[in-house]
Amino acid sequence: MNRDESIVSDLSCWATMAVFIAGLVVLAVHLKEVQVDAASGYNYKKVRQSVRRVQTAGMRGRIIDRRGRVLADNRRCVSIVCDASAYQKKSWNETVDAIAAAIGEIGETIGRPSHLTERAIRRHVNQSLAIPLVAWRDLAETELARFMEHEHLFAGFSVVETEERIYPFGSLASHLIGYVGRDRGAGDAGDEKFNFREFELYGRSGLELYYNGYLRGVPGEKKLLVDARGFTEREWVVSEARRGPDLVLTLDADIQRVAEEQLKGMRGACVVMDPRDGSVLAFASSPGYDLNDFVPTLSHDVYDRYLNDPDKPLLNRASGGTYAPGSTFKPITALAGLSMGYPKDELYDCSGSFELGDMTLHCARRWGHGPMSVCSALKVSCNTFFCNLGCDIGTNALMSAARSFGLGSKTGIDFTDDRAGIVPDDEWKRKTYGERWYPGDLAQMSIGQGMLLASPLQMAMVAGALGTGHVVTPHLKSGEPSQKRPLPFSKEHLDVVRQGLRMVVAGGSGERGGAGVAVEVAGKTGTAEFGPVSRRRKNTWFIAYAPAEKPMAAVALIVEDGESGGGTAAPRVAEVLKRIFNAR
Amino acid sequence: MFAAMLALVAVGTVAIWSAGNARTEAVFHGMWKANLTTAISGLAVYFALAIADYRKLLSWTAVAAYLVALLLLVAVLVLGSEVYGGRRWLWFFQPSEIAKLCVICMIAKVFGDEERRTFRWFVAGCAIVAVPVLLILMEPDLGTALTLIPATLLMLFVARVWRRGLVTLLAVGGVAVFAVLGAVYEAEKPGVPESRRERILKWVPLKNHQVSRVKVFLFPDEDLTGAGYTLRQAKISIGSGGFSGKGIGKGESNHLKYLPQSISMNDFIFCVYAEETGFVGSLLLLALFGALLVPGAWTAVVASDGSGRLLAIGVSTLVFAHVWINIAMSIGLVPITGLPLPFISSGRTFLVVVMAGFGLIQSVSIHGRSNTK
Repeated sequence: MNRDESIVSDLSCWATMAVFIAGLVVLAVHLKEVQVDAASGYNYKKVRQSVRRVQTAGMRGRIIDRRGRVLADNRRCVSIVCDASAYQKKSWNETVDAIAAAIGEIGETIGRPSHLTERAIRRHVNQSLAIPLVAWRDLAETELARFMEHEHLFAGFSVVETEERIYPFGSLASHLIGYVGRDRGAGDAGDEKFNFREFELYGRSGLELYYNGYLRGVPGEKKLLVDARGFTEREWVVSEARRGPDLVLTLDADIQRVAEEQLKGMRGACVVMDPRDGSVLAFASSPGYDLNDFVPTLSHDVYDRYLNDPDKPLLNRASGGTYAPGSTFKPITALAGLSMGYPKDELYDCSGSFELGDMTLHCARRWGHGPMSVCSALKVSCNTFFCNLGCDIGTNALMSAARSFGLGSKTGIDFTDDRAGIVPDDEWKRKTYGERWYPGDLAQMSIGQGMLLASPLQMAMVAGALGTGHVVTPHLKSGEPSQKRPLPFSKEHLDVVRQGLRMVVAGGSGERGGAGVAVEVAGKTGTAEFGPVSRRRKNTWFIAYAPAEKPMAAVALIVEDGESGGGTAAPRVAEVLKRIFNAR
Repeated sequence: MFAAMLALVAVGTVAIWSAGNARTEAVFHGMWKANLTTAISGLAVYFALAIADYRKLLSWTAVAAYLVALLLLVAVLVLGSEVYGGRRWLWFFQPSEIAKLCVICMIAKVFGDEERRTFRWFVAGCAIVAVPVLLILMEPDLGTALTLIPATLLMLFVARVWRRGLVTLLAVGGVAVFAVLGAVYEAEKPGVPESRRERILKWVPLKNHQVSRVKVFLFPDEDLTGAGYTLRQAKISIGSGGFSGKGIGKGESNHLKYLPQSISMNDFIFCVYAEETGFVGSLLLLALFGALLVPGAWTAVVASDGSGRLLAIGVSTLVFAHVWINIAMSIGLVPITGLPLPFISSGRTFLVVVMAGFGLIQSVSIHGRSNTK
């Protein structure tokens, strides 16, 4: 047969075969590009779309007082979580509806509705599908029993153990400890690598907030393999979360309790610290609140009650409230005067009032104290004496003396609230009030009144500094190195003032401040008046240190709207000091 | 060739098993068994056709089969059930798949017996192809039409039917394809105002979903969550398979349902396979297809008569077109077209048809060896 003449071309059959081979080779070449050359790129894309990184929360560290008493603890509790992948439906809406329906049913079964709204469920399905949804926190035993009985009916719902905060002492040191909320774990820098963060306890105020990073420990990491719709297929732990370390405080729960008892039913604050190293032994603010109200979450009712209470229980008065120090400031005026060279002996004659222009400042004793020395003026808290002294030494000297005690600046305490207070001067007054500085301002300031403001914590530092000659930075966390700087006053001058402060307690205005205390107490009363003349109000102070010779405790206590420093505050300080120094 | 076919059936069964397992609906988990039973009936057809003499077969049944196929194609348009927006199913099978083989047989019969190189026969040949193709396009099933046209045109070319006309037709077709691609490019390139886009697309003879497929082909990195999703996921799954794959049954794109579930067992089964077996597996699969197609073409070379040659050329080209277009679309070389991968995809009608086709080739190889060789 002649090939060229055959019906079918032989050549084209060969050509066809060649085309087949060529075609397959072309595919092989391109497949090599995709599967070998670009494989890592596609693998990266695959991992990015199907692997989610979850930050897991570690158990929170406890808060412990100096004697090992646990102020903030963790307790195991049971929660019900929902794994949404048991509710894969055709549409997201159906998934949300199915979960909501199941949650409703379980709510009826166990007798407590879930806190989750449909919106919260929807948000979870939209954003965090891959991680479990917590539907009930902290089940009571009966609730748990009812759920376990019917668990098989609710696919996807299971019981998990979680931790909640518990405060064994209730309201003790509430402002100091602070409370926690639940939050997606906060991101440290460079934490964008996580797709999800588990809810974890997160400090919202007080030490829980200030030491949040310390208490929360080291977060762990979990990886989830999610399918195209976002449901979790598989999970594995990359690194376990590590428990946060315990926070050991310098606080003494016993002293704290006494301080709080002394303030019971009143608005006020009491700070006790060790003036030698700055350890804070008590840090009370009244009224307080029960920390356990905030667990697992604060209900709106309770929160509103706290918020609308005219006594402002949420306000931390100890370091976040500032008050005119009143006569407790007078030792500073005295020191400023002595350091300027004014003699300690009879200096001014008290006629019962101090007059400057058209301003008259009355002394506690209307008919006057007569001739006064530094010590006797401190002892009876003579306004006339200190107004005269203050006006003689001038604004700058008084101001720098006040600042040398740390007034007007933050104390540097390891705590969230650290108000600086105000030490006013010419420049400050112009800026704040648009007014110049009058000599009257100076006279007011000399006796701790007027625009001068200090927190109880600062006044405890002042008391301690008067006793030791050093200003120490207060701290709450045990083991922190103490920072101290000496006062810019000579020992001789300090001793004069100390003598005066001992006389205050030994038969002076603050006599009751040492009553019954086993060691000698030195202190100063203060009654700061404020408000309009018709409704004059008084904040009553007592600051003290003891033992007078070798101070181991410094106290500042304020009672809002008290009677007088000597009558209201001083006896309460005595009770606190008794707890410290009197053997039981 | 027979061994390659069995190997391909085995590969296909495993791939279907893996793809089916990924689906939530339990009915798909047993799909691989159905594939095996189908393959067994396919083998029966294969042996029957291989033993029978294709010449007798063609002369007795080709015309009748062709007419029956036309009838079925009409019937499917009227009676067929609608799946995914197309009318392709008549009861339990797809007539368009059967029609592919019938048209090839018809061409082989008409142009294999005597020399028919004239213009008139060219028109007749085109008509034999065009009628079923148009019916198939009405379903619509662009993919089937796209594989049938090259297979039959090549048959006519091999049969030397008025080649000038065929070449012209091919040239016109090529120009048309480029014109359409160009038009879509002009219309869809970034920054084209909507009014201009509409104006251009009005002239493009494609449906909306086809335009969007061409668009994805031209701009694969746009609209990754919408129209471009499938191609992106297909490439991710093939690419992430890497050199040696993730292991049979461990393909993540498939099991985590990133590959659209409706197509992972059918048109995109290559992705499932390539992810699990990697480049090694892809090469093996290509080699198996080579082991099937090259002997197919060889059968044409050694066949003694025209119809035998045409039959071998037609069937192998049809299968080759399926293989090439399917794999090429999975890696973005050509626009996405609904087209099964022979032996691997879970199309039961197509599996039987392809095995029947190779049964015919086997028959040519057995009964039609050229005596002059």
